[in-house]
Amino acid sequence: MSIVEVQELRKQYDPPKGVLAVDGVSFDIAEGEIFSLLGPNGAGKSTTISMLSCLLKPTGGDAMVGGNSIVHQAQAVKETIGVVPQDIALYPDMSARENLTFWGRMYGLSGDALKKRVEEVLELITLIDRQKDRVDKFSGGMKRRVNIGVALLHKPKVLYLDEPTVGIDPQSRRSILDGILALRAQGMTILYTTHYMAVAQELSDRIGIVDNGKMIALGSHEELVRIVGQQSRVTARVDHYLEGMAERWREVPGVEKVDIEEDEAVLLTDDANEVLPRLFEAAAAAGSRITEINVREPNLEMVFLHLTGRALRE
Amino acid sequence: MKVLAIAWKDLRSTVRNVPALVMMLVAPLALASLLGFAFGGSESFEIAATKVAVATEDQGSPASPTVAGCMVAGILESPDLKDVLRATRVKDAAATRKAVDDGDAAVAVIVPADFSQVVYGDDPTATAQVELYENPTSEVGGSIVEGVVGQVLADFNGARAAAAGAVAVRSDDGGDPPAAQVAAAAAEAFSHDGGVASVLDIAQRSPKVGKTENEVSVTGAILSGMMVFFMFFGAANVARTILTEDRDGTMPRLFTTPTRHGTIIGGKFVSVFVTVLLQAVVLLIAGRLIFGIDWGRIDAVVLLTLVAAGVAGGLALLIIAFAKTPAQAGAIGSGIYLVLALLGGNFTGTAQTSGTYAVVQKLTPNGWLIQGWDTAMRGGGAVDVRWQVLVPLGFAVAFFFFAVLRMRRRFA
Repeated sequence: MSIVEVQELRKQYDPPKGVLAVDGVSFDIAEGEIFSLLGPNGAGKSTTISMLSCLLKPTGGDAMVGGNSIVHQAQAVKETIGVVPQDIALYPDMSARENLTFWGRMYGLSGDALKKRVEEVLELITLIDRQKDRVDKFSGGMKRRVNIGVALLHKPKVLYLDEPTVGIDPQSRRSILDGILALRAQGMTILYTTHYMAVAQELSDRIGIVDNGKMIALGSHEELVRIVGQQSRVTARVDHYLEGMAERWREVPGVEKVDIEEDEAVLLTDDANEVLPRLFEAAAAAGSRITEINVREPNLEMVFLHLTGRALRE
Repeated sequence: MKVLAIAWKDLRSTVRNVPALVMMLVAPLALASLLGFAFGGSESFEIAATKVAVATEDQGSPASPTVAGCMVAGILESPDLKDVLRATRVKDAAATRKAVDDGDAAVAVIVPADFSQVVYGDDPTATAQVELYENPTSEVGGSIVEGVVGQVLADFNGARAAAAGAVAVRSDDGGDPPAAQVAAAAAEAFSHDGGVASVLDIAQRSPKVGKTENEVSVTGAILSGMMVFFMFFGAANVARTILTEDRDGTMPRLFTTPTRHGTIIGGKFVSVFVTVLLQAVVLLIAGRLIFGIDWGRIDAVVLLTLVAAGVAGGLALLIIAFAKTPAQAGAIGSGIYLVLALLGGNFTGTAQTSGTYAVVQKLTPNGWLIQGWDTAMRGGGAVDVRWQVLVPLGFAVAFFFFAVLRMRRRFA
C-alpha cells in the first residue's frame, strides 16, 4: 500500500518565465519502503522534498502523504512526516538535549512523554554522553546525528532525508546509513535524496532518477540497470596496433561487441571474469601487450549516462 | 505554550550572547556614567527659552493713564529677554493656567485686576499679588520669570515708597524738601518697618496634580535617554534572529513541524518584547542601585517601561519584516535608531526643549518617552505621563500592525 503518492508535481519559481524546478514528477512510495531520488545537483530533488514537506506550495499537481493532501491538508501532513534537511538546522548555542527538547515541543510533545522520548532519541543517535554539550562543539558527523534525531522525536510515519551524508567522513556516513537501514527494519517509510549513486544503490528498495526537474527513470536497482543491459564494459589499451587487436578480440568467446574509442578498445561481455584471461591470451598470441585494462559492471551511473548523455557527478 | 517555548529559547540565547548583553546593559550604564561625570556638578541643565503665558486683567486706575499691568507684560515681552523668555499674551487668567496645564507654557503670569489701583492708589494698606502659575518641571524657567517679575514689582514698590516719602516730607515741611530728605524718607518707607514696601508681591502656585518636589539628576536624565536608545538595539538583536534563523535553516525547519506559522512568528514577537522589557527592568534597577536614581512613582514607571518595550519591539520587528538579510537589518536599523535618538533628544539629557526642536522631538516616540521619564522622575504619576504613554503606544501599535502584515505575506 502506498503511503506517499505524488501526482504530476510541478514547481515554477516566479511564473510564467521563472525557473521550472520540478516538471510533472510522479511516483509512489510503499509503506516501509526506502525510496531514493537520485540525480545531480539542481535536478529538483530538494524542491520536491520541500513541496512534500509543505514548505513550498506546488505550482501544479498534488501529493498525498499518509492520506492527506500537501496542498489542502498541510497541517495533517506535517504531523505524519519528519524532515531531515540537507543543511544542519539546529541551534548551535544550545546543547543536544536542549535542541531535542525544544524541537520535541514544536512537534507537540510535552511533559514526561517529551523527556522520555528525548532520552530514547539520544540513545538512538548514541549521543547520550554528550547530551549536555553545545551543538557548536560537535563534529560534523555528530551534528548530523542530532539533525536526524530531531526528525525522529515524534515517531513519524514517513521520514524525508535530504542528502543527509553530504560533507561528512566515511565512518560517520556509514553510521548514518546503518541507522537508516535500522529504521526501515522497524517499519519506517523513508524518502531519501542523494546524488551518490552508491548510496542509492545500497539503501533503496526503489530509485527514481531525476534530471532537470523530470523523473527520467523509476524502479528497483535491477530494473534500472536492465535499461543499459546487464553486460559489463571492459576497456583495454595495448602497446601497438590496436585495430588488429580489436579484430582478434571480436573472435574471443564471450565478447559480444568491440568498439574503438580514441586509443582504447571498449568491449561488452556478459561475464568479465571469464573473458579477461582470454583477452590476455589473444594479445599474447598476437605479440601485443595489454598496458591498461578496466572492468565496469552495469550501474546507475551508466543508466544516467545512457538516459541523459551526461555523467552523474559524484 | 509553544509561543512561550519559542520566546524562552530566544531569551536563553540572548542571555548566553555576551556581546549582546554588553550592548544592552553595560553600554547604556557606562555612557550614563561617563556623561554624568562629564556634566557632573550641575543638578540639571535647561537650555531652552521658557514659554510664558501672560494675562493682564488690570483694570487701570483713574490716577494714571498708564496701566501698570501692561508694563509688567511689556517687560516680559521685551526683546532683551527673548533668549530666555518667550512671552505670549493670553486673554485671561483661566487661559494662562490652561496653557500651563496643557504644556503649552511653562509659566503663567497673571496680573490682577486691581494692580494699577494699588500701584497708583493712595491707600497704604492695599496690596496686590501677581500670580505665577508654574509647571513644576520647569525649575530654571520659573526662576527666571520670578526674577523678572520680582524686579518689576520691586521697582514699582520702590517708586511707591519714593512717592510716599516725598509726600510725607512735603507734608511735614509745607515746601519743597531737599532731595536727600526725600530719599531718606523714601528709604524708610521702602523698608519693612515703613509698611509701604510690599504692596506688590508674587503668589506662586503650581498645578494641583503633579506638584513635584523632585529634581532630576544629570545621570538620571542621561540614563533615561540611553535606556530608551539601547532598548532599540536590544530589541533589534532579538528580532534579527528571525532572519538569522531563516538563513540558517531553523526557521524553515520550524515551518515543517505541526506548529502553525502564526505561533512561530508570535513566539518571536513575544521574545522580542520580553527581552527588551527585561533589559529595561535591569537598567532601572541598576540605575537605582548604582547611581541612586529615583525613577519616580511606580505607576508612571511601569507604564513608561511597558510602552518603551512596545515601541522598541515594534520598531525592530517592522525593520526585520522588510529587511532581506540580518546584515541589512542591522545597517538599516542602526541608521534609523540613530536618527530617532538625535531627533528625540536621547543624547541631550534633557526633556526641556522649545522651538522647532520641540516640535521635531514630538514626532518621535522616544521623544515622548524621554519627556515622560522626566516627568516621572520629577514625581509625576500615571495621569501626568498619560500623553507620554499614549502617543508612543500609538506608535508601537502601528509598528506591530505593519510588521504583522508584512510577516504574514513573507512567511505564509
